[in-house]
Amino acid sequence: MLLFLQALLSGTLTGGVYALAGIGMSLVFGVMNISNFAHGDLMMLGMYFAYFAFTLLHIDPYVSLVLIMPTAFLFGFLMEKVFISRVIHHPHQNQILLTVGLGLIMSNTALLVFTSDPKILTTTYSSSAFNLPGGIYLSVPLVISFLITCGITAILSLFLLKTRTGMALRATSQNREAAQLMGINVAKMSGIAFGIGTALAATAGALIAPTYYIHPLAGHSFLLKAFTICVLGGLGSVAGAGVGGLIIGVVEAMSSTYISSDWKDVVVFVLFLAVLLLRPQGLFGKKGEQ
Amino acid sequence: MKQIVLIVILAAVAAAVPLFVGESPYFMGIMISVLMMAALSSAWNLLGGYAGQYSFGHAAYFGAGAYTTMILISLFNLNPILCIVAGMVVACIIALITGSIVFRLRGHYFALASIAVAEIVRLSVLNFEFTGGAQGILLSDVSLWGLDLNSKNPFYYGMLLVLVITLAITAQLRKSKTGFYLQAIREDQDAAASLGINLAFYKNKALLISAVLTSVLGSLYGVYIRFIDTSAVLDLKLSIEIILTAIIGGVGTLWGPVVGALLLVPLAEMLRSNYLGDVLVNAGLVSETSAFGLFLKENLAHAHVLVYGIITVLCILYLPKGILGLFRRVK
Amino acid sequence: MIQHLLHISHVSKHFGGNVAVSDVSFSVDEKQIFGLIGPNGAGKTTLFNCITGFFPATYGDVIFDNKKINSLRPDEVCHLGMVRTWQRVKPLGNLTVLENVMVGAFCITNSIREAEAIAQENLQSVGLTEYVGKSAGSLPIGLKKKLELARVLATHPKMLLLDEICGGLNYTETGSILDIIRSVREKGATIVFIEHDMKAVTSICDRIVVLNSGVKLAEGTPEEITNNPDVIAAYLGGGHHA
Repeated sequence: MLLFLQALLSGTLTGGVYALAGIGMSLVFGVMNISNFAHGDLMMLGMYFAYFAFTLLHIDPYVSLVLIMPTAFLFGFLMEKVFISRVIHHPHQNQILLTVGLGLIMSNTALLVFTSDPKILTTTYSSSAFNLPGGIYLSVPLVISFLITCGITAILSLFLLKTRTGMALRATSQNREAAQLMGINVAKMSGIAFGIGTALAATAGALIAPTYYIHPLAGHSFLLKAFTICVLGGLGSVAGAGVGGLIIGVVEAMSSTYISSDWKDVVVFVLFLAVLLLRPQGLFGKKGEQ
Repeated sequence: MKQIVLIVILAAVAAAVPLFVGESPYFMGIMISVLMMAALSSAWNLLGGYAGQYSFGHAAYFGAGAYTTMILISLFNLNPILCIVAGMVVACIIALITGSIVFRLRGHYFALASIAVAEIVRLSVLNFEFTGGAQGILLSDVSLWGLDLNSKNPFYYGMLLVLVITLAITAQLRKSKTGFYLQAIREDQDAAASLGINLAFYKNKALLISAVLTSVLGSLYGVYIRFIDTSAVLDLKLSIEIILTAIIGGVGTLWGPVVGALLLVPLAEMLRSNYLGDVLVNAGLVSETSAFGLFLKENLAHAHVLVYGIITVLCILYLPKGILGLFRRVK
Repeated sequence: MIQHLLHISHVSKHFGGNVAVSDVSFSVDEKQIFGLIGPNGAGKTTLFNCITGFFPATYGDVIFDNKKINSLRPDEVCHLGMVRTWQRVKPLGNLTVLENVMVGAFCITNSIREAEAIAQENLQSVGLTEYVGKSAGSLPIGLKKKLELARVLATHPKMLLLDEICGGLNYTETGSILDIIRSVREKGATIVFIEHDMKAVTSICDRIVVLNSGVKLAEGTPEEITNNPDVIAAYLGGGHHA
């Protein structure tokens, strides 16, 4: 029972950060109908950003988010304008390959510049934990990350629900052609969506930086996780991705605890395929959507 | 018919190459890689180029061949031909399972599912014991049924044979009902179904042919290198390299994958072996001991994947139909 | 009892909570030209999708040529002799016009040579012979519609389901398509067609079913339909005056 609770709680905390990455990807998918295979590499860039902000400028990784988010937004916005926007009407496979290519450029440039030696970001609280009654440990950085994730998700939801731009984004996501007819600048919305998606990916990267090895190829394992989260929640559904992230976090923690940590990714992918087959609209998507 | 003649002529030319370069293992090594990548990409092209089903998980079939062969040889010293056949069977099984899952899906979902299946295969191989896990499988000095493993020629001709077979199948397919049906599926699945095409049957047919050919190449590769691990034969990077080769040459064309391999493989080899760095140093442009020289020596080998990335992006943006697409008559 | 070629019996189609088609029944006899009309969103195309196996009906039966075909796939339905066209045309864009029609012909032959002969014949019958070598994607809409028609004819169907085959066409183009349809019927095929254009429908159909909001509103001869007050109300009231 204790083991179960421990797995559930740490899974939820990690899942929160996964959710952030998943939400970013889902937003891009919803608004642009593009699967972004560079998403994991954008996370990796966020990790390095946090690392260098910490080692060179002595900024706490959580504080550095204030710098990372706008920088990443701008980076994503420009990336969309320069590259992605040109394939928006191309077949899916071309879009996928383009983002694969961009991802390869990012990860291998990182490999050249930062070398393949993994970096570790050690803060004073990196390995400290809250001891809960009953002998459950909660890692301090994970708790902080989770709280920050909740905050960002809340702000994003408000933005999407209450602001004009947010509503325009949602309209574009529901029906791009209709949105265009209603006078929404869908090209601009794509840029904004990709910018936000990038900002969220980089933020997720920065949030996990204190607890993971920082490595140029670190993004790859997160890429497939982010996809799984999106599919679980229904590709394009922001709220679904949030829940999907938590589910993946918990499933991972449970399979590590009860099967073996070697097989946790396999469990996640099997779940992914099962959802694709049985509920391609996602766990929370409406049936009949294509 | 014209295409078959061309295949035979080029195959004869390629077959004569070792007679002239005989003693250069370096050159032969590159040629073997070119032939292998051309064949892999052609086999992928049957499914991806003609049926339009972009499998992002072809490494699974390559790995199936390589692992089956290596395990059977290292454990039982089985006849290599039997090993290759066993590899084909394993690849077929994986293909049938994959097909039953991924072919119900379209677009993004298909691409993602094909990756997921391949990743499950990779992680399973990594976690099982009989596959050698993370250490991989090393073929220690076993006598392989009288085959001289130190000569590259058998592998050169082996790869060439598979390439020729793959090209012949492709050329033949284009002039057959199946070829028409695969292209119809690529162009519009609903229209194809409404015209009486059993989508699942024809997609699986293309996948099976493609997977079997790919597994043979994996088997040959394993014995040729005498060492395999998951990062060499089952990685997503390999799947992407296969697609990329076809894209650069021209997807859905007979010769596109060959052209792509002729361009990409030597380029990658040059970067990987640091040929470029050596040239700069030898030409006296960069001092070997300077910081930049050391940096080049250290890191340029990594750059080949970076160059792949750049080529992919440029190719998708400016040459989505590949090099052969440039020469296709515009209708 | 008269043998119907196609019999639709109490067919309903639900998407989640939405009912797209509700309890529709009708029968089509051999060599009839049968019209299926109704305002936008009436469920005509959904009904076609149910009949041809693209999505199975939630309730009800579809009987074609004395066989229950509810749960058959589209390709199986095609091999039984029923084939459809698409409201939004679906040319195989990168194939030539000839190759498009050959794909249809492969439904009844395995030989390339025969398929080509069948394709040429059907291209001639719709008047596309001069375009054989062009890529299908490059044709203007009027010719794409004719191509769709040639492609389904090449499967030698017993029954054609035509989904707004005249949609977006001008007066002369519509006329020439209707001529083709008549000659197809002369050769023994049965035709069900969805159309917006009331004039086209009444001029060619033997019998018409009107759908409105997924429900069968009326059935009868063109004359009965044009005089039916419910139909007039549905068309005028809905603002979809064709």
